[in-house]
Amino acid sequence: MTRKQRRLTLIGSAGVVLALAAGLILYALNDQIVFFQSPTDIVARTIPEGSRIRLGGLVEEGSVTRGDNARVSFKVTDLEASVPVTYVGLLPDLFREGQGVVAEGVIGQDGIFHADKVLAKHDETYMPKEVADALKDKGVWQGEEKPK
Amino acid sequence: MMIWIAFALLTALAALSVLVPMARARKETVSPAANDAEVYRAQLHEVERDLERGLIDAEQAEGARTEIARRLIAAGRAGSSQESGEAKGETSLRFARLAAIAMLPLAAVGLYLELGSPDIPDQPLAARIAAADANTDINLLVAQVERHLAENPQDGRGWEVLAPVYMRLGRTTDAVNAYRSAIRLLGSDARRETDFGEALTIANQGLVSAEARVAFEKAVAADPKAAKPRFFLAIALGQEGKTQEAIAAWQALLADAEGNEPWVEVALSELKKIGGEPPAAASAPGPSVEDVEAAGAMSDEERAQMIGEMVARLDERLARDGGSAEEWMRLIRAYQVLGEKDKTAASVKRAAAALRDDPAASEALRSLAQEIGVPL
Amino acid sequence: MIVEIGHYALVLAFVLSLVQSVVPVYGALKADNRLMATAAPVSGMLFLLVGLSFAALTAAYLSSDFSVVNVFENSHSAKPLVYKISGVWGNHEGSMLLWVLILVFFGSLVAAFGRNIPDVLKAATLGVQAWITAAFLAFILATSNPFLRLLPAPAEGQDLNPILQDLGLAIHPPLLYLGYVGFSITFAFAVAALILGRLDAAWARWVRPWALLAWLFLTLGISMGSYWAYYELGWGGWWFWDPVENASFMPWLAGTALLHSALVMEKRSALKIWTVLLAILTFSLSLLGTFLVRSGVLTSVHAFATDPARGVFILAILCVFIGGSLALYAWRAPALKQGGIFAPVSREGALVLNNLLLTAACVAVFVGTLYPLALEALANDKISVGPPFFNLTFGPIMVPLLMVVPFGQFLAWKRGDLLAVAQRLWAAFAVAIGAVLVVAWSQGVEHVLAALGIGLAFWVIAGSLSEILSRARFRDVGLATGIRRLAGLPRSAWGTVLGHAGLGVSVLGIVAATAFQTEAIRTLKPGETMTISGYDLTFRGIAPRRGPNYVEDVAHLEVRHGGTLVSELDPAKRVYPARQQPTTESAIATYGFSQLYLSVGEVRNDGGVDMRAYYKPLVTLIWLGTLVMAAGGVVSLSDRRLRVGAPKSGRAQPVPAE
Repeated sequence: MTRKQRRLTLIGSAGVVLALAAGLILYALNDQIVFFQSPTDIVARTIPEGSRIRLGGLVEEGSVTRGDNARVSFKVTDLEASVPVTYVGLLPDLFREGQGVVAEGVIGQDGIFHADKVLAKHDETYMPKEVADALKDKGVWQGEEKPK
Repeated sequence: MMIWIAFALLTALAALSVLVPMARARKETVSPAANDAEVYRAQLHEVERDLERGLIDAEQAEGARTEIARRLIAAGRAGSSQESGEAKGETSLRFARLAAIAMLPLAAVGLYLELGSPDIPDQPLAARIAAADANTDINLLVAQVERHLAENPQDGRGWEVLAPVYMRLGRTTDAVNAYRSAIRLLGSDARRETDFGEALTIANQGLVSAEARVAFEKAVAADPKAAKPRFFLAIALGQEGKTQEAIAAWQALLADAEGNEPWVEVALSELKKIGGEPPAAASAPGPSVEDVEAAGAMSDEERAQMIGEMVARLDERLARDGGSAEEWMRLIRAYQVLGEKDKTAASVKRAAAALRDDPAASEALRSLAQEIGVPL
Repeated sequence: MIVEIGHYALVLAFVLSLVQSVVPVYGALKADNRLMATAAPVSGMLFLLVGLSFAALTAAYLSSDFSVVNVFENSHSAKPLVYKISGVWGNHEGSMLLWVLILVFFGSLVAAFGRNIPDVLKAATLGVQAWITAAFLAFILATSNPFLRLLPAPAEGQDLNPILQDLGLAIHPPLLYLGYVGFSITFAFAVAALILGRLDAAWARWVRPWALLAWLFLTLGISMGSYWAYYELGWGGWWFWDPVENASFMPWLAGTALLHSALVMEKRSALKIWTVLLAILTFSLSLLGTFLVRSGVLTSVHAFATDPARGVFILAILCVFIGGSLALYAWRAPALKQGGIFAPVSREGALVLNNLLLTAACVAVFVGTLYPLALEALANDKISVGPPFFNLTFGPIMVPLLMVVPFGQFLAWKRGDLLAVAQRLWAAFAVAIGAVLVVAWSQGVEHVLAALGIGLAFWVIAGSLSEILSRARFRDVGLATGIRRLAGLPRSAWGTVLGHAGLGVSVLGIVAATAFQTEAIRTLKPGETMTISGYDLTFRGIAPRRGPNYVEDVAHLEVRHGGTLVSELDPAKRVYPARQQPTTESAIATYGFSQLYLSVGEVRNDGGVDMRAYYKPLVTLIWLGTLVMAAGGVVSLSDRRLRVGAPKSGRAQPVPAE
């Protein structure tokens, strides 16, 4: 092979590898990202069954009930609409009624949100960013904010 | 003074780290090619070694040798062309010296004076506590008690003494913990549970949490006639939206009152707010529990004045900084309860102007205006 | 006084770094020996000053001097000693000071041990390093000064986030920063070489040990961070593709690529342009990581800073350094001479493929980390890119990389013989196939992917070992000579083997722990038993306990395997009163390389306690593998060939026996 041919082979194979990687990334971006929704969004729009979403809001006061073997159900609300959620597992340390929460999972046929991951506030002054933003949109959030 | 000597020493060291190497360095330059050549020579040795060990065959070794030799020659050529590089930049040298001697101290001290606080001494906690007399800073006394409790966490009396101090200092969360420890160690009684519940409520910005409610309920169970826990329980019912039960609770509470207790006015206004019939005279809304307690110790005249002042303060602040929809509505209600018709109407107008951009708040305002019969 | 001396030392360091930014670089351009001579001593002085400053802040923490705002906000007199110390860098201001301390530490290391580096390159490199130092010291003094005072001093501090009160985390940031910031020196080398217009094979040799050192620390830092998340967060996961983790992982991927491409540059004088670009990109990714973590763009445990002024400042630093260095690169790189040529199938070819794949993997992580941020900023859409995205992109890119690793070690420089290499790799291939069959047979066909993954891990381990064994030629020369030959191999060869084998060990742990993990969630009352993977966990009760600055409810469980008591577990729920913040303390029992992982949840009113147990086979191999990799780095670093290059000492002094 001449020098030029060698370089072309090199560049060509590099192009192929990078193109494959780019294709993979684009495909995954289309398919594997999870949109954030508030309870109002979920009630208002019909979300295709089985698609993964992140549901954020406040844990409705008095809605938490516990079943056998760490099964727990509660409602997530943005004070306009609320969505029932079930989850099996240990709730995060900061999961409390009336506090911010983000649940990730799918909506079942029964209209119940089956979460496989539940995140709560990370500390006393922090609410999941998405939840705070969504509540602010609704005019519900009154927490203090640092000046931007 | 000491501190400036230390600064001077540091600055001198920094300046010397620039000046000394400049003075000691040889004037001529060494060509970097010498370092390059050394690397390539080492590479040649490695090729020989690899060949000896049989890691590469003779053909590969020959190829590698040619390549490295070529680099070695190139490095030699570069070296000879740079060898003549005699340094001449006396001006740049002078600038570097000037930077080290003048700019370094001037800029550093100037910047430090802008940022630093050379006159504040170190204040290690241990030394401060040792120096604290009985009549100095209450915070340090608290710190002393805290130290004692950290070592003897089972001292329930200590927690009980500390808790109200925390409340006075506004450290409500600490107060909650202190009361909790006191109850755990000394046992539950009506007063402790009440104080605990009150601390929890204040720590929660006035919201009676489930935990606080349990505390108040325990207090009432121990002393069914106690007014304070019943007062908070009634507030809790109102906050939960159980209006009818709240009305009943307030009415029962007021029925047991003699009429001159400090909390009566708040009770009346709360009752009115949720639409219940007050069995007696009207009162002012909104003061905090401490304010009400303070008001209890005053004459009627003073009390009216205090309430008026509080409302005026709120008014002033809203006029100056603006505020949330909730605060505006509190002001409107306050004027209405005080019977100031003109000010009520005026504050409704001001609130409408201030909350113009917020549809939800405007809506709430409209319904409030309707409720109290003021045209918007 | 100590506090103020620390403050002054920091200011002085800033001014001195400005001097250092100009004098030696100008000297290097003018070939003036006297100006260049200042570089090394001033680097040492900078380290001394920033070190003094850091020591002063530490002293303020130790004596609970709450007249310092930073101490008041982040410490508490009741905090255990070790967390008072770790509190120094457990907050934004202190951690930035640590960042700069490590920056000047690396500068002084080059000044002290870079004797083989030509004076011109060394002076310019230290000058460029001083640019970074000056920029970050300005950042600290302007927006994040840890020495601001408070009068009157409060009586008690506000504690440290209890989640951060952990020994692993105490060591984690320093190690991670050593890696992150360490790549600043390779960046400085690259920019210096571009300024001087001298980029050759020798340059790669001088840079390689520093890249290796930074890579070594970053590897350990990432590994330790992962283990910390595993046992502290209580979720049982060891990697979350969290943006903060990705921020440290991207420089690692780029840095690993840099290590390999620098090798090609050193041996064959090829890939020069690419190697310099990688050196710039690696540190750019470190800067990006610093920006992501420090600016508060991401809200998570790690993001202590929420002040936008800081974010803008770091963003400006980021743009100036990345933009400036890339512009310099675009201007200078085309002038570089072509290097040695090589066939596609050769050691160089394999290393190019390695670089391509690592870069692609890095791009995948980059997109997954920044895409949600970009989308939120531009379209106000909120999305989350979670593990599924990374599994789908990062995974497939890693598979071919792992497959070619053993080939790369065997291929000759310039032109390789793929067939001959394949012949020498048959034993490793047999081991891998054997592993696949054993796993598929014992675990069932539905685990075929896991079986292939384990086979791949064995392929990498066996492949790298067989390379070193084939070099010994036991069959031709006999056992004794073979061992002598092995001992005589250059240390860098051993480093390669350890690095690659460690990678295989980690992959083995990852595949096994992911595919064969079992999980059980139960609500247990005292006396009840749950079973997981043959282990019986009996709940004996839960009791309160008091620690130095927390209270906790500790559950006690007995673990039996086949009827015999093998261990006792005490997971706990902890509350730190100073912040009213609960945390979960998981309990872990290790059996061989596998672990039983248990955390407790809610305590029910009827005395039942929610328990979540995992059995994670071979999970410890994930971290052991990284330790082996790091050991490979250490061995490589001790290779004396990396120190060659000093014109005098190289020849005149005998090399000490190693």
